[in-house]
Amino acid sequence: MPGAAVLERVQTVVLQVAGPTRTPPDAGPDTPLGDGGFWLDSVDLVEVIVACESEFEVSFEGETDLTKEALHSVRALAELIESKRPR
Amino acid sequence: MSPDSLPRSSIALGFREVWRRRPALYSRPLWALMIALDRLPWPWGEDILASLFAAVALVRGSRRRPVLAWASQQPGGRGLRLALAVCAFRGRWVARATLLGVRSPAALSRRAVIRGDEHLTAAPEGTILLGFHLGPPNVDVTLRILGQKLAWFGTSRNSWVWSSEAWRPLSDPRQNLAPPDDEWFWPGYLYRARRILLDGGALFIMADSWIGRAAFPVPLPGGPMIIRSGWLSLCRLTGARVIPVVTHLEGRTQVITVHPALPSPIPRDADPLASWREIITALVSDYVRRYPEQCPVLVFPPTILPRRRGPGRPEPDGHARPPAGGFVRT
Repeated sequence: MPGAAVLERVQTVVLQVAGPTRTPPDAGPDTPLGDGGFWLDSVDLVEVIVACESEFEVSFEGETDLTKEALHSVRALAELIESKRPR
Repeated sequence: MSPDSLPRSSIALGFREVWRRRPALYSRPLWALMIALDRLPWPWGEDILASLFAAVALVRGSRRRPVLAWASQQPGGRGLRLALAVCAFRGRWVARATLLGVRSPAALSRRAVIRGDEHLTAAPEGTILLGFHLGPPNVDVTLRILGQKLAWFGTSRNSWVWSSEAWRPLSDPRQNLAPPDDEWFWPGYLYRARRILLDGGALFIMADSWIGRAAFPVPLPGGPMIIRSGWLSLCRLTGARVIPVVTHLEGRTQVITVHPALPSPIPRDADPLASWREIITALVSDYVRRYPEQCPVLVFPPTILPRRRGPGRPEPDGHARPPAGGFVRT
């Protein structure tokens, strides 16, 4: 389970990329990043991924990490980030 | 074993497996015919498919009417003759897309040349090779066969040849960033494409893809070509230079023309699209004027089948817009 601080930082990144027009009023950690939520497209999602790499000093593998499930919501992305961080 | 004595990959795979691999964009009768034609020496099957597509246009109004309407809007007024040539090239491109009857990469390389390859000279920065759905398909494959090092970013290939030994070096997943047809999820592939460019590699991508946001239209007689924004996004994410590439057939030889890179770096106060749009519009317009018969995609654009149900992303005014994603069918 990702900590509240990580969730908040990931949500901040997502809000920056989505902007106010695409952010749903009730946006939360389980709001879909794509259709029906923040409506981020592939390019937007890559921008989120790159920003998260910089924010959390982690590195992703395009083939294995960036799946539909891992990029479903802020919570799913935060879980991926947690799994990538050194323990 | 010489390349030309290699067994047909469709035979090696077996009919059942080849049949199972039929892409959704080909009808069953067409796929069956292509499997049969693959037995013939290249390019006999391609020639037969070209003639067949022209003949079908003569007898089927649904094919004849749009192509005649398009042909009548082209300069020169060649009417029926141009219309039939467009349909024949459509058949030829269907054959080329599946590498029908082409037994080995060497066979293809013997009938392909690159013009302007000095523009491909190695540079430290990443390079986007920008293709168009004009002329023979699989330009990136031909470029690779001719010795260029690059990766493909786009939709998956529809051919049985990729499972054969002769073509295996070209089907390396690291050089083919293409999600499977039944699992279109692009961020991972886009991320890998970005990495390739940031590492100074070359990436081939189509400007007039079927998916993604529209960047700008190229006005053409008979209807515009829509340039998408995927390559622009990659360019913005990586600072890669962009080199337009077009290709056409001269007799039996595929000519690949590499143009100079689009002006870069873009001045901060300039709109990159303004100058790039002008260059791309001139390039595409010139191609269509010179080789209208090799542009069937402008007459028969693929039909987009919706993959998503429900409303699309809401517009600022609160109204939903149609889904943008799609599955390609021709």
